[in-house]
Amino acid sequence: MPKPKTTFIFLLPWIIILLLFWLFPLIYSFILSFAKYSILTGEVEWIGLANYFKLLQDPDFWIALKNTSFFVLGTIPFTTILALVLAILVNQKIPLRGFFRAGYFVPSITSLVVIALVFTHLYARDGYFDFLFKLLNLSSPEKGFLFSEKTALLSIMLMDVWVSVGYYMLLFLAALQAVPLELYEISDTFGANFWQKFRFVTLPHLKPMFLFVILINTIKSFQIFIEVFVMTKGGPLNSTLTMVYLVYEQGLHKFNFGYASAIAYCLFFIIMVFSLLQMKAFGLGKGIED
Amino acid sequence: MTPKDKILRWVLFLILLFILAGMLFPMYWMVKTSLTKETGYVLNFSDLLPKGLTIKNYQDVWSSAPFLRFFLNSLIVAIFVTLGNLVFCLMVGYAFARREFVLKKVLFLSVILVLMIPAHIIIVPLFILIKKLGWYDTYLTLIVPWVVNPLGIFLMRQYIQNLPKELEDAARIDGAGDFKILFKIVMPLCKPALAVLAIQVFLVNWNSFLFPFILTSSEKMRTLPVALALYQGYQTIDWPHLMAASTICALPVIILFLFFQRQIISGLTAGALKQ
Repeated sequence: MPKPKTTFIFLLPWIIILLLFWLFPLIYSFILSFAKYSILTGEVEWIGLANYFKLLQDPDFWIALKNTSFFVLGTIPFTTILALVLAILVNQKIPLRGFFRAGYFVPSITSLVVIALVFTHLYARDGYFDFLFKLLNLSSPEKGFLFSEKTALLSIMLMDVWVSVGYYMLLFLAALQAVPLELYEISDTFGANFWQKFRFVTLPHLKPMFLFVILINTIKSFQIFIEVFVMTKGGPLNSTLTMVYLVYEQGLHKFNFGYASAIAYCLFFIIMVFSLLQMKAFGLGKGIED
Repeated sequence: MTPKDKILRWVLFLILLFILAGMLFPMYWMVKTSLTKETGYVLNFSDLLPKGLTIKNYQDVWSSAPFLRFFLNSLIVAIFVTLGNLVFCLMVGYAFARREFVLKKVLFLSVILVLMIPAHIIIVPLFILIKKLGWYDTYLTLIVPWVVNPLGIFLMRQYIQNLPKELEDAARIDGAGDFKILFKIVMPLCKPALAVLAIQVFLVNWNSFLFPFILTSSEKMRTLPVALALYQGYQTIDWPHLMAASTICALPVIILFLFFQRQIISGLTAGALKQ
């Protein structure tokens, strides 16, 4: 018989990592959000909800929330629809389609730091995008796209759609390939056209994947940080300041641990509400356990 | 196939080719800039093409002392984290797949929940914890917290659940102990899943930026992505050299992808397909 002792040993790595590096930080952070923590003396002073009140009056918080929401709401629809369209295209019988699938996916596996650096170069004054704009007789920002309040966040958003579309394309592709072929054959016998087949056969089967794609992209996008850190440091004039960047700045630059924790928990709460709403909207929520 | 279909197919092919060019252009730009001495500014069409190619930037980057250190740091961290995950995800996944124990449901739910938790929100408490442990700015902090990951556990559990049990039972009758069964019988059967896991973990950790960045401070502990992100800070940007370093950072991943495309894709979509 298998021994209970070895069961425990097998589980031990996860139990340790879970308790020490996930559960403890999550709880500790929650507690810290009600305190003022002095990095010099290590003293903790309880200040109740003061951090949360401070946050409501902090213009930086509202700017970060606005920018992050704009980023999330502005990229996810484009990424999702483009990914679906690409998935449908590379699912057709076309020469070299495996090659296309792989090629579209390359940005998703490349280091985001590297990609952000390359785009910083592409967005620079007299860079590639500047050249394109001049070619089309459009006015481009004088100091480069990342140095203008109007274009900095939009530039990062465009890059983000470009980076992530390949990954979600693969997810949709997997879902498309799981649609039973007989359903299409039956539709053919009824003389259904491409759109009817898409609307009444494909789309209903894609629903769970739609939810999953939007859900993980929401969770990921609300946490945007690397792009901002590499490309703009939140500037110019806070126009790319995001929630996680604010947490980083307050917590690990200015060492306001309590205040940073309060911001982090706000973000956590927002992401949770969004996730639950999405699950509700899609009429799902069960089915996670197996 | 009618002639109309044929034309349609080729139009589609051209559209896909056009999109592919757009998806790969930044990669081309990176390599092109890394192979020139110029700033890479675009004033007319001819600037889009490579000219005056040289590998000097790569030689400069390789021979600079800190760069080699960054590269080795990345390699050491990615390899040890991968090895850890191979052993530990196998162990934990096996327990979830084959054993009954108290709180099994709760513990498995914790795996799913950690998978969904926005990890960036714990940067502050994790920073404090690592400082308190005395791990700040050491290899320990880059490796230990990441040696087992929820997606890996999930993947191994799914795979082991679908393996036949008979071999394990037979080994047990022959008197094999639990560890021997796991590492001598089950592990060899899990090779395909372990390959997926290893490549996936290696990729993620090779590219990892946020945690190595906030949990280290000295130059000698930087991994490649951290070093690249901080490079801008201390001088005016020297694009050709920076792009050469970026290419070196991106290359191992692209090579892995060329060889293990199937494993990488199944690893990245594994979590999604079970939903």
